[in-house]
Amino acid sequence: MQQQEIHNFLLNYFEANECPIVENKPGFLTVQLTIELDKELMNRPFYWHYLEKTGGIPNPMLLTFITNKEKAPDQMKGEIIHFGSPRLHQIFESTKNLASYIRLYENHRHQGNQTPLMPWLCMNVKISHQCDRKRDVFKSIGLQLINGQMVEDFHDRLKLISLTPKIPDYTFTLSPLVRPKSGMLRIETYLKSVISDDDHSWADDARKRWEQDLRLLDHFYEDVEDGNESYETEKKALQEQYEPKINISFINGGLFYLTEKAI
Amino acid sequence: MSVEIEFDTSWQDDFLHRIDNDGPWGNWELFKLAIGVEQHLVIPEFEGLQAPNHLPNLTPLPHQLETAKQVIENMNGKAILADEVGLGKTIEAGLILKEYMIRGLVKKVLILVPASLVTQWAIELNSKFFIPAITQRKSYVWEQCDIVVSSIDTAKRNPHRDIIYKQDYDLIIIDEAHKLKNNKTKNYEFVQNLKKKFCLLLTATPIQNRIEEIFNLVSLLKPGHLGSESAFYEKYKRDARSLNDDEHLKELVNKVMIRNRRADTGIEWTKRHVETIPIEFTPPEKELYEAINTMKNEGDWLQTSAFSVMTLQREACSSREAVFYTLKNMLQKKEKPTPAFEEQIQFLIQKVEAVQQNSKAEKALKLIQTVNDKVIIFTEYRATQMYLQWFLKQHGISSVPFRGGFKRGKKDWMRELFQKHAQVLIATEAGGEGINLQFCNHIINFDLPWNPMRLEQRIGRIHRLGQEKDVMIYNFAIKNTVEEHILKLLYEKIHLFEKVIGELDDILTKLEFGNIEDHLIDIFGQSASEGEMRIKMENLSSMIEFAESMKKGDSHAAAGNS
Repeated sequence: MQQQEIHNFLLNYFEANECPIVENKPGFLTVQLTIELDKELMNRPFYWHYLEKTGGIPNPMLLTFITNKEKAPDQMKGEIIHFGSPRLHQIFESTKNLASYIRLYENHRHQGNQTPLMPWLCMNVKISHQCDRKRDVFKSIGLQLINGQMVEDFHDRLKLISLTPKIPDYTFTLSPLVRPKSGMLRIETYLKSVISDDDHSWADDARKRWEQDLRLLDHFYEDVEDGNESYETEKKALQEQYEPKINISFINGGLFYLTEKAI
Repeated sequence: MSVEIEFDTSWQDDFLHRIDNDGPWGNWELFKLAIGVEQHLVIPEFEGLQAPNHLPNLTPLPHQLETAKQVIENMNGKAILADEVGLGKTIEAGLILKEYMIRGLVKKVLILVPASLVTQWAIELNSKFFIPAITQRKSYVWEQCDIVVSSIDTAKRNPHRDIIYKQDYDLIIIDEAHKLKNNKTKNYEFVQNLKKKFCLLLTATPIQNRIEEIFNLVSLLKPGHLGSESAFYEKYKRDARSLNDDEHLKELVNKVMIRNRRADTGIEWTKRHVETIPIEFTPPEKELYEAINTMKNEGDWLQTSAFSVMTLQREACSSREAVFYTLKNMLQKKEKPTPAFEEQIQFLIQKVEAVQQNSKAEKALKLIQTVNDKVIIFTEYRATQMYLQWFLKQHGISSVPFRGGFKRGKKDWMRELFQKHAQVLIATEAGGEGINLQFCNHIINFDLPWNPMRLEQRIGRIHRLGQEKDVMIYNFAIKNTVEEHILKLLYEKIHLFEKVIGELDDILTKLEFGNIEDHLIDIFGQSASEGEMRIKMENLSSMIEFAESMKKGDSHAAAGNS
């Protein structure tokens, strides 16, 4: 992420959370937190607890983020934000927490006619291949809940469509034939089958490294009687170090009602 | 072969619940942002380093990046980092740790370092790497904090020990790991029983000293890498000294060890300027020194070892306070002092009292005033240290003392005081290890240690990465004393002061003739005449020269990177 991207990201995040942007100039950004976001980010539960008990006037914080030290005025006080800064990662986490589930309708322009919208289940996941190293793949899958059509890179397509949280006028939704719960199962099965067709030489290599170290370990302890505690510890450590695994973790997902030709 | 796939289902119920209750639903902008974030955080390849992207304020040197990559990609996260002093092993360890954290392979980390470095490690990890490392001060820290820095001496003791064994550490980092070379110690046993999924051992001392030490250290990291104990010693003699004799063994060791050398890194180092300042005794000082010297061959002194006479002589070159302190101790320790012995001590004490000024201290004062910058004074003796502090204060110069015996917090505090307020830091020998003082570039060696390694460590405090100026080293030596002999015949002859850091330990390792200090005591204590002493010193220095030339021959062949 470049500094300008970070700047835009912060702006979008605070705007999406309805925080007034006090100042937005090249190199820095000042925002007035809302009460909700103060609680989310500032980690001061005692203050809020005290305030709620005493009925005081809430005073959420004003924050300044410096995204480019050269462009920001000298003497500017604020948090310097870059890709590795803990504050940015806290906001990343918060972004994911605040928008895990969603439901949206296509904001179509078919005026007058009654327009049907198809239900889609969307799941965005991260597939982590892990041994003593790690690699991730991002996948966005869409499943049409009437005819069972499965689409990859679903999110990229959604980004091209105008969406709204309220159902537009003269529009009705079709009831899904596939229930969301079994839809999730279909996506899970699909992902697993795709993954098992992948090249798993990385896992075989990891197993070889594991095997090799295990042989050395056995050799080291061959003079020692059975049931040696440190032998067991080492053995377990090797398993944790090398054992190949694939984790599919959920990022976010939701229901989308789209016109027939949308996808 | 297939791989086990775990599918995270924890979110499903929550999702279905919202479908049933029609919300609450998230915001589309945030939803898109969240995916954007994930796409940025995804790690596309098994290889390569992500950490540098997260550390805009840190510019790792090429050899540091290369080391981090090697450890992760070719050593599977278990390695001995044995760079020469001052090449930034901490940075390398920080990079590796950060990389594993970014990749989500490491969460819980235990960092064991010497007590004097605990705070410094925590500060560096926090400020340079944005890693929330906590120093262990309360016992709940082990369980509640993910990344803990502690001294091994604290960690190995109960109740800490038991709590630590219950934790599930992903990565263990041990600084100054050469202290674990003996497998009979409690420290070794403690580390051996830790579960080491990923593990970094940091050491500046090359471990090719003794084959036994190599075996112990490597077996700690990767048991079996060098075979089982019995098989290993069947093949290599236990007391064999050199690892370099055996190509196969060297190769094996290089699979788990990285040793960057200064010469290979191509980093420009600031220069060392060495100035020897000869100093004349005042007549009473001279008298004291001579008095000790002539006593060497007299009656009762024979019972005392040559060592204490030697010590007194060296102390006489430092300060009268140091001599007095030792004399007093000698008197107290002797169970039934003969009247003659007491008389001699009294005689010497009188000589001590006759000394009114300290020529070296006067010189140091003048030097500090001309330098007009921060200065570190090293002395071997506590008494001298205290005297100097008093003496400088009389002349309006602020100073702070520094000793190895200080607790961690006090060391940090003294360093801070020196950096911000005081002009002079007066350190005794033990204070030489484990603090970094790059912000200062003047050292006065008020008296000289007899072990060249210790001298190297003194200089290493300021001549390291991060030092931007040339380093000035002033050696004080009193004319016509042991001190001058040492300086002239040993240090200058082997060009010790011009050596780059780290070269010396290699040379001394090669020598294989034991402790230099013992040789010196022998030379000065047992020589009957000045001439004999000179010849013996010549011998010693030529041996060192010889070792040096040997080293030049194979400097790059020895356990380097491969």
